[in-house]
Amino acid sequence: MISFHLNGQRVDADVPPDMPLLWVVRDHFKLKGSKFGCGMGLCGACSMLVDGQSTRTCILPVAAVANRAVTTIEGLADAEQLTTLQQAWIAHSVPQCGYCQSGQLISATALLNSNPAPSDSDIDTAMQGNLCRCGTYPRIKQAIKDAAGQTTKASTTAAQSAAVQTFDPRHAEAKA
Amino acid sequence: MSQHTSQSRRLFLKQLGIVGGGLIVGVPLTACATTPATDAASNATLQPNAFIHLSPHGDVNFYLPRSEMGQGTYTGLTTLIGEELDIDPASIRVHHATADSAFNNPEYDQQITGGSTSMKGSYLPLRQAAAEARALLLLAAAQQLGVPREQLRTDNGHVLHGEQKTPYAALVAVAAELETPKDVALKEPSAFKYIGQQRPRLDGRAKSTGSAEFGLDIDFAGLQRAVLVRCPVAGGKVKGVDDSAARSMTGVTHVVTIHNGVAIVAEHYYQAKLAAAKLVIDWQLPEKLSQFSSAEGQAQFAQALEAEQSHEAFTQGDGSKALSNANRVLRADYWAPYLAHATMEPMNCTVKIADGAMDVWVGSQSPGLAQGLAAFYSGISKDNIRIHSTFLGGGFGRRTASDYVGEAVAIAKASGVPVQLIWSREDDTRHDLYRPAAMARFAIGLTDDGHIDSWQVRRTGPNIMAYTVDEALDAMAPGFLPNGMVDWMSKAGHSLYDGWSLDHSSVEGLYEDYDASHKAVEHVTVDPGLPCGFWRSVGHSFSGFFKESMMDEVAAATAQDPVAFRLQHLSGNPRLANALKVAVEKAGWPNAASGERRLGVAAHNSFASSVAQVAEVSLENGAIRVHKVTCVVDCGRVVNPDIVKAQMESGIIFGLSAALFGEITLKEGAVQQSNFHDYPLLRMPQTPTIDVHIIDSNEPPTGVGEPGTPPIAAAVANALFALTGQRLRSLPLKLAS
Ligand code: FES
Ligand code: FES
Repeated sequence: MISFHLNGQRVDADVPPDMPLLWVVRDHFKLKGSKFGCGMGLCGACSMLVDGQSTRTCILPVAAVANRAVTTIEGLADAEQLTTLQQAWIAHSVPQCGYCQSGQLISATALLNSNPAPSDSDIDTAMQGNLCRCGTYPRIKQAIKDAAGQTTKASTTAAQSAAVQTFDPRHAEAKA
Repeated sequence: MSQHTSQSRRLFLKQLGIVGGGLIVGVPLTACATTPATDAASNATLQPNAFIHLSPHGDVNFYLPRSEMGQGTYTGLTTLIGEELDIDPASIRVHHATADSAFNNPEYDQQITGGSTSMKGSYLPLRQAAAEARALLLLAAAQQLGVPREQLRTDNGHVLHGEQKTPYAALVAVAAELETPKDVALKEPSAFKYIGQQRPRLDGRAKSTGSAEFGLDIDFAGLQRAVLVRCPVAGGKVKGVDDSAARSMTGVTHVVTIHNGVAIVAEHYYQAKLAAAKLVIDWQLPEKLSQFSSAEGQAQFAQALEAEQSHEAFTQGDGSKALSNANRVLRADYWAPYLAHATMEPMNCTVKIADGAMDVWVGSQSPGLAQGLAAFYSGISKDNIRIHSTFLGGGFGRRTASDYVGEAVAIAKASGVPVQLIWSREDDTRHDLYRPAAMARFAIGLTDDGHIDSWQVRRTGPNIMAYTVDEALDAMAPGFLPNGMVDWMSKAGHSLYDGWSLDHSSVEGLYEDYDASHKAVEHVTVDPGLPCGFWRSVGHSFSGFFKESMMDEVAAATAQDPVAFRLQHLSGNPRLANALKVAVEKAGWPNAASGERRLGVAAHNSFASSVAQVAEVSLENGAIRVHKVTCVVDCGRVVNPDIVKAQMESGIIFGLSAALFGEITLKEGAVQQSNFHDYPLLRMPQTPTIDVHIIDSNEPPTGVGEPGTPPIAAAVANALFALTGQRLRSLPLKLAS
């Protein structure tokens, strides 16, 4: 039995400890937003936030997240209230086939959490682990910049520093 | 029951899996839930055609006939419906259509999403379907309100009579009793509210929240996962298998041998994958392919350039004879390798067989063929096979084939349990239907003032159609033919095809664009036996590189400006000429790139669209760096400019992966690449700035999904020539150090 936090809720999974987190989340918890793309940590389709870090979960045994906080694409929005990044994604029509986009949003979320005003090369570096066969990179970059712009603006008003509702383990605990 | 439920519609509804008296609208066909029954009498619905269903509760449902694989049909085709039905497209509920001939692509008479035809082929028929539905609602309103039809108009889901607004939903019951008007006039473009507007994608939210459902996301109680071990050399058969170690692995429930390999069925995918590695299989290797290795095999393509026999694909004027009159002849040979599709979602298919019927969940570019192949491998008649379509995690032509559907069906049948077959990335890379490798030899005869007089080109390589015929015969052969017979026919079909007929996609794009008095296009089939398929832009994917590099060579050899030289030979092709002129103007040709950067240009027609591109390139530590691509497209009338732009960006990036890295090689018939480390795709830091311009046009819409890809490799190669003086005639582009 392995316990961890999944999208703010404490969960117990009675699965083999070597089962990759991706498949635990998809097949045991039935959250299908995180995708399988390569199984080797090369494409980022399976990315989830693990304690706030964008992490490749296709090669991460579930035992490794015991007592840690995991956030999937389903856990980014607060109910119907999408994050600034998600809104920017929609406004820029970023997704094409859409298959890579959960992973892209997870990595972008982790980036803005740690670096609210990233430069172009910061974005390149943070996003280079996420492949998109449809070639949505130019729009991803633009959407991140727009979201960052809005966040930076918002964070100047003190109370709104969390305008990008990204993963924060404390916040997750509070929701649970 | 309304008079609208004709016999053919009844059949159609049966195919949708909706039986009984009433149709519940708004049941997503992607859902694995069964369709609830409903009380028809109290729920009259309006179904004027296969595409549009209105409920009395206000749902407007659209059954999307073309697959959504990123290219934007979900938004674009819904926009057509919204326009003529006069309702905001964003309020329409869109469902992926099941397999049914009602959803055939008018361009192919098959239910196929490909050839960049979705908008081109649907532009009038879908608008017509929606216009008729609107006319029907207006008739119903006139009757219900007791006013003349002429006093009524519509606005966003309502019929208006003066100040009085009646929602469509309130007219459904009356409308359902009326005959659908035919030959209804379509809107004049000046009246368009939605067509031509830049509006966000309708699937953007689902795809930004993780809720869009792909084939791999299908799940239900009792579903097991399957991994199939195929012969490393395509076409190999199982001679014997030792599965004792595999069977003892955790979670494994079945090990079954099917037509092309041995499948592990387990509770979880990762368990099946672990167990698959324990199988010991003795393979019967296919003779020809297992003797082919890329390192030496390329010579076969080159030898065929010299062959005495060839197919004449196209001749104009005196054909190749004219070469002897030329003042000067320039010759060059070009090469493009096999390529994998590498859709981000690996192939997969979910199958449940129960009570002599079968449900198949699959993201497919050809649900009809998938259904046919499912019948072939199960022995269940097509009438009892329901295809549930999903979003596609990329298609690019890969999902026109249904090999993975046949496999999943065979595994479900042999194991007796519902299975989801999941291809690993390694499976996906090694068992694709590849973009055929190709070689081309040009001989361009010039007049003494440097004009092209004769254009001769010979292409050598495999033909895609030979492989398509194989599968199509299995899928379409009538049920009364025994499988053995179908097998024989498809084998015969393959060789008949290769021997007698020319696959136009093998030579398309090599000769059409430029003026020349004399043209001769030949083809010689060289086929090592690696399965080939449609890969974004098909033959144009290599011919765009070959032809546009050759044009650059000729311009350089005769000291002419590459743009001016092209324009001199585009008098028969004003649309491409215009795209080229605009592209060089927007890119600031020839002076924009200075210092260490150079520009390269290419222009190519494909799928009835014209695209010109200018690439700005430099070398960074000896590596090729593409900084910027300016792209101009003429694709007729634009339904959603943002989606056209996105498709150009997508096509360029797809083409850049091929230009800079893409190469599938074989060793003794086995594909050597396996995953993204050895079959790399462009990543964000390598992606150039892309500047897309769309030519304003009132012509009918043409393709955008593919035409962005063909020119880019040549634009980059031509820029590299300007930069280094090296003419790169092979893909992927590699500079001599
Ligand atoms: S599926 Fe995990 S990185 Fe590709
Ligand atoms: S949107 Fe298709 S792979 Fe990224």
